[in-house]
Amino acid sequence: MASFINRHADSRVMRSLKACRWSGASPSPVVTWGLLMILLAAIALLSLLFGAGDVGPGRAWQALSDFDAAAMHDSEAHFVIGELRLPRLGIGLVVGIALGIAGALLQAVTRNPLAEPGLLGVSAGSAFAVTLAILWGADAATLRISVAQLGALGGCLCVLAAARLQGIGNDPVRLILAGAILSGLLHSLSSLILLFDQYTADEIRFWVVGSLAGRDATDLMPLAPSLALAALLTVILARPLAALALGEHVAIGLGHHPRVVRLLVIVVVALLVGGATAIAGPVTFVGLVVPFAARALAGPDIRRTLWFCLPLGPIVVVSADIVSRLVVPPSELPLGVITALIGAPVLIAVVRRRRLPML
Amino acid sequence: MSNMLSTASRATKYEVTPFSRTQASNQAQTGKLLLTLPLGKRPPLRIIIDKRNLLANLLLAGLLMVLTGVSLATGSAATLSGPAMLGALLGHGSALDIFVVHELRLPRVVAGLVTGGAFALAGCLMQTVARNRLATPGIVGLDNGATAFAVASVVGTGISLAPPAMALTGAAVAAALTFGLTGSIGVRGYRFLVAGIGVGAVFGAITQLMLTRVSIDAANAAYPWTVGSLNARPAHAVSILSLALLPALLAAIRLTRSLTVMRLSDAVATSLGVSASRCRLMALSVAVILTGLAVAVAGPVGMVALIGPEFARQISTRNTVPVVGATLAGAIVMLAADLLGRVILAPIEVPVGIVTALIGSPLLLWILLNPNARTTP
Repeated sequence: MASFINRHADSRVMRSLKACRWSGASPSPVVTWGLLMILLAAIALLSLLFGAGDVGPGRAWQALSDFDAAAMHDSEAHFVIGELRLPRLGIGLVVGIALGIAGALLQAVTRNPLAEPGLLGVSAGSAFAVTLAILWGADAATLRISVAQLGALGGCLCVLAAARLQGIGNDPVRLILAGAILSGLLHSLSSLILLFDQYTADEIRFWVVGSLAGRDATDLMPLAPSLALAALLTVILARPLAALALGEHVAIGLGHHPRVVRLLVIVVVALLVGGATAIAGPVTFVGLVVPFAARALAGPDIRRTLWFCLPLGPIVVVSADIVSRLVVPPSELPLGVITALIGAPVLIAVVRRRRLPML
Repeated sequence: MSNMLSTASRATKYEVTPFSRTQASNQAQTGKLLLTLPLGKRPPLRIIIDKRNLLANLLLAGLLMVLTGVSLATGSAATLSGPAMLGALLGHGSALDIFVVHELRLPRVVAGLVTGGAFALAGCLMQTVARNRLATPGIVGLDNGATAFAVASVVGTGISLAPPAMALTGAAVAAALTFGLTGSIGVRGYRFLVAGIGVGAVFGAITQLMLTRVSIDAANAAYPWTVGSLNARPAHAVSILSLALLPALLAAIRLTRSLTVMRLSDAVATSLGVSASRCRLMALSVAVILTGLAVAVAGPVGMVALIGPEFARQISTRNTVPVVGATLAGAIVMLAADLLGRVILAPIEVPVGIVTALIGSPLLLWILLNPNARTTP
């Protein structure tokens, strides 16, 4: 689908835009996807223009339109945009993509529309692992990432084990409840550790709330190999997952191995969530909202859903980040607060439906 | 003991078949105790007491008294012997001992007693009405709502109400949101619990938002409300809660019979003459009031509302709702958790909210994941 979109996007877009103008039908998925990409570009631009500091939109626009000249005339704006806002935007894009894809994969593999890495304790698992690692004297960024990913893997395995227990796997809501309790337990264990180790508490305080502020672009580099691996595995796994959505017997009949697929998906989710958590702290509800919107736009096929998660995840995270900078101008809000305020109503809306859809 | 008063009122109202001596002896054999109080010309008042429940409640009360004594006697300042502690409590002994017991430990122990009782009673009522052992006020988002409002009053966002009133409002708002959004309670399984988690997440985010906006001093002043602690609690909030706890307990005892029937189903309750919606409304109101006022004292220690009733149900009979037992057990759990938090990492004090969360979460998971565990109380 990638090459298809790249090569034929323009002519297809024009044709289907014309078609829906005449017929009044909703635009085709390709058009919607293109519109989402345009929206993402606009939001990315906005995130470069607006900020909590005193480099306003006008000044930022001038600096952006003549970036090299700004290095001489307006070095403050040049610095703010090049050194602060641009890395932040990059991290927002990576975190958004990782959390959105991870949410979609986890929902597909547990067949549960509510499964969200933050709610199910995957993020809490990696946060707890990082707390332990810092307590035992680790502070290098690479170590933190691998530790976070291991913790996320532990959380994922707990989820999978709970989902396979009698009666839990068939009830989406009970699985979420178990995850929420697990999150609470890990959270209070983390706070217990912070309580009797002042150094760890100082080290982790800025990380545990979930925020994009004060992160360096160089933090992204150690993350690259694991993200590349996750991307590769996602591409390979998309087809088997789509088959698995038809039922285990059908998938076996089509030549897939459900157990292997499930295990690999869990590894991918752990890589993505652990990486995102290591760099931005535990950010909840993104993995719920993004696949929810993606399914509404793209339909039930997991392959299309994943494509739509690509622009939707960064849209949610970057726009939440913009809001977090603008609400209380001199200071900033943690990103996790904004995503929770967006995500909780979606959760309630899903739960309120008469029939919970099984994926 | 909890079904004593309600049974008594029924006996005087109907008097359909008076107990004969043989019936009474049968009752005695099956673990019931029949008390007959002569009332002059009117028919005598007969009270049936379940022996096992009476024993259970006496046991809990005894345990509570021992634990209160231990809590008063131990601490980092001075560990007193039993007689010395009793003497200091009554005003004898050295000035230091009297100061430590009266000024430092007694307020803390009283705060623990009333908050533990209030949380557990609220939990017991809500679990029964929702027909779900997991439906405690903490999970349904009441604790977070009350905390958000209490923090709002502490960090001073232009609202000049006292923390107890604000916490009460917060609990009521959260309850209205959760139950309003999911329709009715106790009918649609686990869904309102997840809606409650959502409501709780919103209020938790709002609390975070307020704490990041204010100066560090105000944030520190509000911090105990966010983790749940019994350290240096406001005295007026404790006295308001104590005043509310007694009528709430009496109302709950009065409701015991309706609640017992409510455990079955709305249809059975209605056919036995219990108005299901009225009973539900009363029980939920009591639970909301108690939770709000208790959060204003100790912060969100919601797990007590799970552990206390669970403990009480284990040791009393299955045929009533252990209202009094749950209250006593909640107070026990609160005091024990506080004592543990003070002793375990001795120079540092672990907040009681963390201790109860560490004990309660595995219990909660076990209830949820064990296929053989009963999920209805």
